[in-house]
Amino acid sequence: MELLAVKPDAVTSSKWLDAHYDPVANLYTFSSCIALADLHGDGDNKLVVGDLGTGAGNTKLKVYRGIGLLSENTLLDLPTGLVSFLMDQHEPRTPAIAVASGPFIYIYKNLRPYFKFTLPFLEVNTLEQDVWSQARQDMIDTMTLKEMLESIRAKADIPLSVRSLRFLMLEPQEMETYVNLHKQQPIRRQTVITCIGTLKKNMVDEDAVSCLVVGTESQDVYILDPEAFTILSKMSLPSVPTLMDVTGQFDVEFRIIIACRNGNIYILRRDSPKPKYCIELCSHPVGLVRMGKNVVVGCAQETLQGYTQKGKKLWTAYLPAPVTTMAVLDLPTRGFQAVLVALANCEVHVYRDKNLVSTIKTPDVVSSICFGRYGREDGTLIMTTKGGGLIVKILKRTAVFDERDSAPGPPLAQSIRLNVPKKTKLYVDQTMRERENAVAMHRAFQMDLSRLRLAAARTYVKALESSLTPVSASLAEPLKMNAVVQGLGPSFKLTLNIQNTAVCRPVMNLAVSFLYDDRLYRMRTAFFKIPLLVPGLNYPIDTFVECLSEKGISDIIKVFVLREGKSVPLLTAHINMPASEGLALN
Amino acid sequence: MSRLLMHTGESRKQFELQLMRGNWFIRNRGGTAACSRLSPSPSAHRAANEQPIACRYRLRPNGHMGLLDKLAGWLGLKKKDVNVLCLGLDNSGKTTIINQLKPSNAQAQDIVPTIGFNIEKFKTSSLSFTVFDMSGQGRYRNLWEHYYKEGQAIIFVIDSSDKLRMVVAKEELDTLLNHPDIKHRRIPILFFANKMDLRDALSSVKVSQLLCLENIKDKPWHICASNAVQGEGLQEGVDWLQDQIKTMRT
Repeated sequence: MELLAVKPDAVTSSKWLDAHYDPVANLYTFSSCIALADLHGDGDNKLVVGDLGTGAGNTKLKVYRGIGLLSENTLLDLPTGLVSFLMDQHEPRTPAIAVASGPFIYIYKNLRPYFKFTLPFLEVNTLEQDVWSQARQDMIDTMTLKEMLESIRAKADIPLSVRSLRFLMLEPQEMETYVNLHKQQPIRRQTVITCIGTLKKNMVDEDAVSCLVVGTESQDVYILDPEAFTILSKMSLPSVPTLMDVTGQFDVEFRIIIACRNGNIYILRRDSPKPKYCIELCSHPVGLVRMGKNVVVGCAQETLQGYTQKGKKLWTAYLPAPVTTMAVLDLPTRGFQAVLVALANCEVHVYRDKNLVSTIKTPDVVSSICFGRYGREDGTLIMTTKGGGLIVKILKRTAVFDERDSAPGPPLAQSIRLNVPKKTKLYVDQTMRERENAVAMHRAFQMDLSRLRLAAARTYVKALESSLTPVSASLAEPLKMNAVVQGLGPSFKLTLNIQNTAVCRPVMNLAVSFLYDDRLYRMRTAFFKIPLLVPGLNYPIDTFVECLSEKGISDIIKVFVLREGKSVPLLTAHINMPASEGLALN
Repeated sequence: MSRLLMHTGESRKQFELQLMRGNWFIRNRGGTAACSRLSPSPSAHRAANEQPIACRYRLRPNGHMGLLDKLAGWLGLKKKDVNVLCLGLDNSGKTTIINQLKPSNAQAQDIVPTIGFNIEKFKTSSLSFTVFDMSGQGRYRNLWEHYYKEGQAIIFVIDSSDKLRMVVAKEELDTLLNHPDIKHRRIPILFFANKMDLRDALSSVKVSQLLCLENIKDKPWHICASNAVQGEGLQEGVDWLQDQIKTMRT
């Protein structure tokens, strides 16, 4: 048997045939609400999608055949999960569709509504019931009711029902009508379904009867009988389940791997109502896939991690972008298994353990992904995008995934030549001169350096004496000032930014004075007080300057910050005024 | 050529005994060791149980020519034998097309998915065709290339209502045309855009566009829409094939 291997240097996307792309399919869904099923028992698999619509309402159950829509059913609520399963032994073997939404599971057979299963009610706090029964008999007024419910909420171990919580949110004037409206009905606490899966009952076959496995907001997992929809088993978790993978048979041995909202993964087994193993992740799980006996998790920190079912970490692969969704690529006919990881950079990566074996570029960010038999083709990859598009790709018969890790070896930076500048003849001549006249050069330089130090010290002392620095030198008033001129003239806006740089001591009793040539400039106020300077804040102080000259002459304006009662300024700033570009109006 | 079928009940594998060029060959009809369960439609399943598959072939003693055949041979009127490969994806209608081309007294009533391949014979006015009716299922497609050498013409059948798998058909056609046993031979290819009676079927023009048939420059080809259940369009295609083979011979 000869296989035409894909050339290693060929583009990786050549492993896939582009069967269909509809950018305006209007499908908004997630991987949990998409399934492939042979709905009519004719060997032609259909695609079943629980469409979440574009916001409120508009949720639909859509069925695709080939590249066209086969049927649409309206759903009453947002679907949280969708699975296809066989519920009985009747011929023909057509699977039913189970759509989980809210506290209900809607079962469709032959694409018609067939049964609605409701989750059992949770137990209600007895104190809460007593309080409401008193309200029913008008023994307490609404304010007392509110206080009692608040005290129950604060310390009871069983949480309040939705009715009480909503009551506590109301404004006082709305309470009376609310109580009168609801006090006659019995109190119920209901939970909602967060994820759904299937579990074969007692056979391993492809067409064996399956139980439904449901995770709820009340941190429970229920296993339901496929025919009677009674609860076969109930297990509880430490947190709310979000993602689920089920394997095994209910009557023999099964494992339910569940990712929860607390960022942990729990593994439930037969005969134990509590999880046996726990995998603690460093960030929240975004996707969960089982590969044989191992668990592959896509984390929110752009990593893909492999664990054993005992919770031992095997490997970590670092991804170039955040994970949007994950699915398993399983081709039993070719004995190939891999993990499909959709990323936020419009790519889908195929990982085999930690090795990236293929990359698929997509025109949009993929939001849901599903691989399996669609129509009559076994290796079909179905993706829906963030913009509601539908992409169908078919794996080539001759495609070969090479096992070698396509991750790059040493970093690229190692192969880049360093940018060392070249030495010219001029440089060589200078070094020759340095060798010959080293002593004279050293002496001349030291002499110049001493003179430079003297000149700098003299100038500094001069500046201190006349307080010309814009940063105060004294430790008593640590101040900083700079001045900004805005505008083109003839009127300018002059802004002083004054800041107290002390740690925790305010500065008070300061004033600002301007010194300028009054033949050239006019200011409304040439002297004003500064407010108390709180440490760390920047105080912008505005004033307006008008230019009087018509000849385009500019001059310097000096700003002094003074302490009241002292004549020596603390700070000084010199502002070179720009030339005015207009004429002053007299 | 004569054939016998032997069923081994529990393993469900089929072997066939063939007489080719005077020698008996035993051949595993599954083609591969892995023989997984088929799920044909219930009616087909029943039919397959009631009559053994061997009844579908006319057993013609190969060693003894009929008197007329000998006479025709002496007079030089013996019809030329042509080997034709019938290829295409599964469920495209290859077996049904070949069945329709056979004389009406030899036609099978029920068509089931082909395992491996079948060999059928039929005659036209001047030629006698031997057709290798290959299975189009993914796991049997790698058998195709073993028969390319024998093929003197190719019939490629496309399900014109299966838009999704048109790319797969194109991929298989490209692989076929680039195979070393086919690439440099000028053999005629007849395309049937089958199932034209279905509501969402594409026209033969559209099918030839999707398969990029205009890129086939070095081989004579022809596409015609057909409905294999009724037999519409088949005669046109076979007539074209016959003309092509005749012009190639001369």
